[in-house]
Amino acid sequence: MKTLILNTTNRFIIGLLLVFSVFLLIRGHNLPGGGFCGGLVAAAAFALQALAYGVPSARQLLIIDPRTIIGIGLIVAFVSGLWGNLFGLPFLTGIWEKTPLPVIGKLGTPFVFDVGVYIVVLGVVSMIVFVLADDQDENSSEGGAPWN
Amino acid sequence: MGDHLGKLLALVPLGGFIYYTTLIPSVAQGGSIRASIPWADGLGIPLSFFVDGLSLLFLLIISGIGTFIVWYAAGYLHGSRTLGKFYLYLLSFMAAMLGVVASDNLIVLFIFWELTSITSFLLIGYYHEDPASRRSALQAVLVTGAGGLAILAGFILLGFGAGTFEISGLLAIGGASIAALPEFPTILVLILLGAFTKSAQFPFHFWLPNAMAAPAPVSAFLHSATMVKAGIFLLARLHPCLSDHAMWPSIVAPVGAITMVTGVFLGLRETDLKKILAYTTLAVLGTLTMLLGIGTEMAIKACIVYLLAHALYKAALFMTAGTVDHETGTRELGDLSGLRRVMPFTAAGAIMGALSMAGIPLLIGFVSKEYFYKALLDADGPPYLWEALGVGASMVMVALAVTAGIRPYFGALKKTPKHAHEGPWTMWIGPVILGALALVMGVFPALAGDHLVSAAAAAVVADPTYHANLKLWHGWNTALMLSILTLAVGVGIYLIAARWRSAMASSYRVLAAIGPEQIYFKILDGVLVFAAWQTGVLQNGRLRNYILTVGGFAVVLLVWVLPRNRFTLDMDGMAPISILPVFVCVLIMLSAIFACFARSRFTAILLLGVVGLGVAMLFFLFSAPDLAMTQILVETLTVVLFVLAFYKLPSLREFSSRGIRARDAVLSAVFGVVMTLLVLVAFHFESNDVPISEFMARESLPTAYGRNVVNVILVDFRALDTLGEITVLAIAALGIVAMLKLRPKRNQKPTP
Repeated sequence: MKTLILNTTNRFIIGLLLVFSVFLLIRGHNLPGGGFCGGLVAAAAFALQALAYGVPSARQLLIIDPRTIIGIGLIVAFVSGLWGNLFGLPFLTGIWEKTPLPVIGKLGTPFVFDVGVYIVVLGVVSMIVFVLADDQDENSSEGGAPWN
Repeated sequence: MGDHLGKLLALVPLGGFIYYTTLIPSVAQGGSIRASIPWADGLGIPLSFFVDGLSLLFLLIISGIGTFIVWYAAGYLHGSRTLGKFYLYLLSFMAAMLGVVASDNLIVLFIFWELTSITSFLLIGYYHEDPASRRSALQAVLVTGAGGLAILAGFILLGFGAGTFEISGLLAIGGASIAALPEFPTILVLILLGAFTKSAQFPFHFWLPNAMAAPAPVSAFLHSATMVKAGIFLLARLHPCLSDHAMWPSIVAPVGAITMVTGVFLGLRETDLKKILAYTTLAVLGTLTMLLGIGTEMAIKACIVYLLAHALYKAALFMTAGTVDHETGTRELGDLSGLRRVMPFTAAGAIMGALSMAGIPLLIGFVSKEYFYKALLDADGPPYLWEALGVGASMVMVALAVTAGIRPYFGALKKTPKHAHEGPWTMWIGPVILGALALVMGVFPALAGDHLVSAAAAAVVADPTYHANLKLWHGWNTALMLSILTLAVGVGIYLIAARWRSAMASSYRVLAAIGPEQIYFKILDGVLVFAAWQTGVLQNGRLRNYILTVGGFAVVLLVWVLPRNRFTLDMDGMAPISILPVFVCVLIMLSAIFACFARSRFTAILLLGVVGLGVAMLFFLFSAPDLAMTQILVETLTVVLFVLAFYKLPSLREFSSRGIRARDAVLSAVFGVVMTLLVLVAFHFESNDVPISEFMARESLPTAYGRNVVNVILVDFRALDTLGEITVLAIAALGIVAMLKLRPKRNQKPTP
């Protein structure tokens, strides 16, 4: 899909979307947002890149393979739950650092858990998008949908 | 590398064995060790352990024989690519088995019990390229797994009935009050089902000989000393709790006797070294069960001694049979003879084992058989029945011991597929030491009696002062006469065994055709046919039918449930209806209806997009910005995904007849009405507790430090659910990718 408008706007929008996704992730604990929304927005950024410049370019931008990203996200979420076990508390007990950090605010294991959710959602959606878009490239190069 | 790994790993069970040995003095004094770690507190299940005489005997057998098995496997599987995996399975199995015998909590015991089933499945199916091996592994896990389910049900009933899930607690309550429980018969039958399947009692015996498809170390470990004894262990463990009811002797003893007779009878048929041993194991398991069923003090004592003797000789015999197979390339009796010349150490171990199995004086097997006969002579019941069965089975056991453990080593050396030679030391050290132990314990039975058997038997008869005084020589009594007779007749049976096999070949075939294994296959086939049928009906791949099933089922359930609860349709207390939501709702409804009649896919998708955004709008209007935002994002991505998939979808066509569409329309309407009713009813649902939503809203800031309740629920209050959900999400994504990537290319022409 080659359109000048999409290609040009894309460069600005991607950065904005990614920053916005992190913003959503961080504010999620107190205001609308959170890991799931943030992950979707981030995935949308990469989907846009895939639409504008093709899947290989989007994969390059993502650097890590979506499958690995999913794995990392699951591990982050799981490990954040284990933190409580270190203090003899049940799995997934939320533990908070009481002094707030700049920008992020108070840091706690639920936030780390949310980061895990964000990463998983980003990986899942971009993986599906990439696979679908890959297929589409194949088909369009062979002259349209085979059923029609 | 693999060899050395094995030698090193043997230190794990060896360390355990040495540790358990240090427990002997205190346990032999009647003491017991208990430990408890908080575990699933919410369910009231602590990870609790309890070691008394019975547990300790099993712990020693498992870890002691386990040490030799790990060594043995290093030689037997020398050069195997997946040796590391094998050790993983083997040591996991060992750990699970130790857990079974040391558990105090019934649920913990059940979990370890199931772990032994799973790990044994992996071990039996170790040669997974071989279909027969896979089949046997599946059979073993299905039979013992079904028994495991029964046992869980039995444990739950027992635990709630008796008021405690701790075995030590059950033992303290005592058998009389447990037998008085109204649900006792159900409890007993369920637990017996579990024990019988695990210990391969008739009619579940067929999986054990088939499990001989496993590598020799597995057969030697699982099918002689440990796993199949788990059922025996459970019967012995719960003997004080369950045997006070008349049902116990009337079920357990006959089942054991039938298994014993079945085992020796089918064993006579075999000419494969390992199969013969498998059937004699079956016979011994039957014997042990029968003794536990008889349940007198003498029977319990005999059971414990017999169990110890069997573990020693059968592990030795299985290992030597494996060595013979490994070094000659065959396990067929007809091809093997004179091996003592080339495999002296293996022969020594095997012959000691066989002599002990046959019950030759000075070996522990003799002592155990003496007590076995005494127990039978003392037993109540039909006159001479137990004695006749027990002595008869023992006679055949003598013949089978000679066949499997002595015959291959004497006579002239025959040519074998592989050039016969002695195995490495790792493979014969175990049998030789076990054989020597059988001799030491046979000559000094008090050694085993005072330190191991007394405490174990005391635990089973629930009398801490019980002392099993083991002696080699009891004078010229009836039991000794029977022993001598057994040996003489046994040798006679050995001599005619070949003729017996050919004469009985046809009747064995008939038995195989009508035996319980055929029922197993019938059930298995039935399950597969049912699965294929219901998959065809419910999972036929048409989205419309899935929705039909889900929607129809929900409607039927709700229509059935709603009128049975008093409910009021009361509009009081609801927010006043303003114009904006009405407008949005009308928009949603119109879009949905038009989507149904859309002529092109693109129109339909656009209209559905309107529906989705309309719903998001409603969320906004009713102050749920989180939901609205997520909804919009999902809608956006749906459009993106749809654009990507657009080209691949066929153009819209009318697949359904007018009648089907009318049906779908009616169902949709009914579904909508029922759901609306449900929501209205739910609004007035009264509960005595504080509604969960209020609790969450109240606790969100003070305890979870978050003002966004939705997010706090997701990542804190209900984080475990979220963890599950993102895992499912990941699996679903992998599934989608697999389906899209792995499907055959449509424009690929099939090669002619």
